[in-house]
Amino acid sequence: CRSQFPISFIYIIVYCRKMVGLSLGEKHFIKGGIDQNIRSDGRKRDSYRPIFVETGIIPQANGSARVRMGATEVIASVKAELGRPSALHPDKGKVAIFVDCSAVAEPTFEGRGGEELSAELSVALERCLLGGTSGAGAGIDLTSLIVAEGKICWDLYIDSLVISSDGNLLDALAAAIKAALANTAIPKVNISAAASGDEQPEVDISDEEFLQFDTSAVPVIITLTQVGRHYIVDATSEEESHMSSAVSISVNRKGHICGLTKRGGEGLDPSVVSDMISVAQHLSELLMSRLDSEISAAEAEGGDEEL
Amino acid sequence: MEFVNPEGLRLDGRRPMEMRQLRAEIGAVARADGSAVFEMGNTKVIAAVYGPREVQNKSQQSNDQALVRCEYTMANFSTGDRKRKPKGDRRSTEISLVIRQTMEACILTHLMPRSQIDIYVQVLQADGGTRSACINAATLALADAGIPMRDLVTSCSSGYLNSTPLLDLNYLEDSAGGPDVTVGFLPKLDRVTLLQMDAKLPVDIVENVMQLAIEGCKAIATYIREVLLENTKQLEYRRGL
Repeated sequence: CRSQFPISFIYIIVYCRKMVGLSLGEKHFIKGGIDQNIRSDGRKRDSYRPIFVETGIIPQANGSARVRMGATEVIASVKAELGRPSALHPDKGKVAIFVDCSAVAEPTFEGRGGEELSAELSVALERCLLGGTSGAGAGIDLTSLIVAEGKICWDLYIDSLVISSDGNLLDALAAAIKAALANTAIPKVNISAAASGDEQPEVDISDEEFLQFDTSAVPVIITLTQVGRHYIVDATSEEESHMSSAVSISVNRKGHICGLTKRGGEGLDPSVVSDMISVAQHLSELLMSRLDSEISAAEAEGGDEEL
Repeated sequence: MEFVNPEGLRLDGRRPMEMRQLRAEIGAVARADGSAVFEMGNTKVIAAVYGPREVQNKSQQSNDQALVRCEYTMANFSTGDRKRKPKGDRRSTEISLVIRQTMEACILTHLMPRSQIDIYVQVLQADGGTRSACINAATLALADAGIPMRDLVTSCSSGYLNSTPLLDLNYLEDSAGGPDVTVGFLPKLDRVTLLQMDAKLPVDIVENVMQLAIEGCKAIATYIREVLLENTKQLEYRRGL
């Protein structure tokens, strides 16, 4: 028993991202609780914290949402601008995802401190939601963003802001982006004059007619954090501080895997990984239905207010 | 362009001496020592205070007072056009400095030597008067954190368009090219701590416009006191007192 402590201690120091000041007794308590399927806040290993969704909070954006999972709070906004499609994919629009970690959430994010985490989260989200470089397998249908093939397309800029950080940022961000996309209304564009060759055709952006974005194919991300011998879902920052590794899996409505990211230094047995994937698939159904009901409730509320 | 129509109504339907709707919420960020969200019309700002805590950079440590630091950032989606660089640009640096100096003047820093107080302000929606909203939010966040202060600092802006002094300018009125006066005020001590003005203003009008902003600050102070009182009652209730 005594010899175990130094070994696990070394792993904790080397592999944890953020040093949350926890005593040895507290660490033992958290780990023991997870082993017995009772976490510090009373949850089971596979339950999520309460999720609150609010949409349409930023009137200037085409779509926006704010998601709270326990004490983690993130805001996502979608802005659409007209641009030129890339020469390699003239029939697809462009989507860019940016994450900004605000210093309000964590003093260490001040100045350039949050850049590393922001970059990691942005890339992970792009990988899960946008598919490969060719745009194949994207959760968001890029062909629906085209206005005039080869000449004009919609560029979607998805900006997210982390306001409060208490673990499980990736899941919360993915949920916020899904809700923001559900809230997004892209104005209808009428091409007024046809143009030939390289000329840009004239466009008339409608102020009244909008197209609601179709989010049925947008996946959710489930992050499974391994602590000791078990894995938990929706870890708080205390639990994350001594994880050995974490796997984030993005699953869509059909149960297909859209992306996978493994973080943390400790190696995982391949059988464990396939087990994690099936657990994630099962949990994604619950999360997806929960998110959908929250989003439609939020949208309905927003609609009522307008009346 | 007409900013005050013949009936005396502004672009958003307000009277010249009318402020926008105020809304404040305390304790928005669970992990911060103190936090607040402050809305003035469509301008929405969130402030978080971490401290007093140990000084991170020992070379800046002061043996007889606390170190106050501030960072002002605007979210990418806060303005009409997307901002590419949320922090580090000159305007953000200047406003960070302004907020820091204003708050430092009213925090009783000599009570907390060798410590550091961090104030982080994030603009979620910008529609004119962000500087003022940030100072008001910072005051609430500092009060929520229990940091001793001489007085509440409140701030409001005013301008002069179509020969009328206007209170609490929104973005359209601010970018109209007329003067924009921002005042930071200590209501109990009756002192002005911050005064900034841009563009030209006739000397005999300056007094008027500044006085209007001060009246605005006093009104905001009344509102902030109400919010803090309500918050304290809630805390008492939760503790079962």
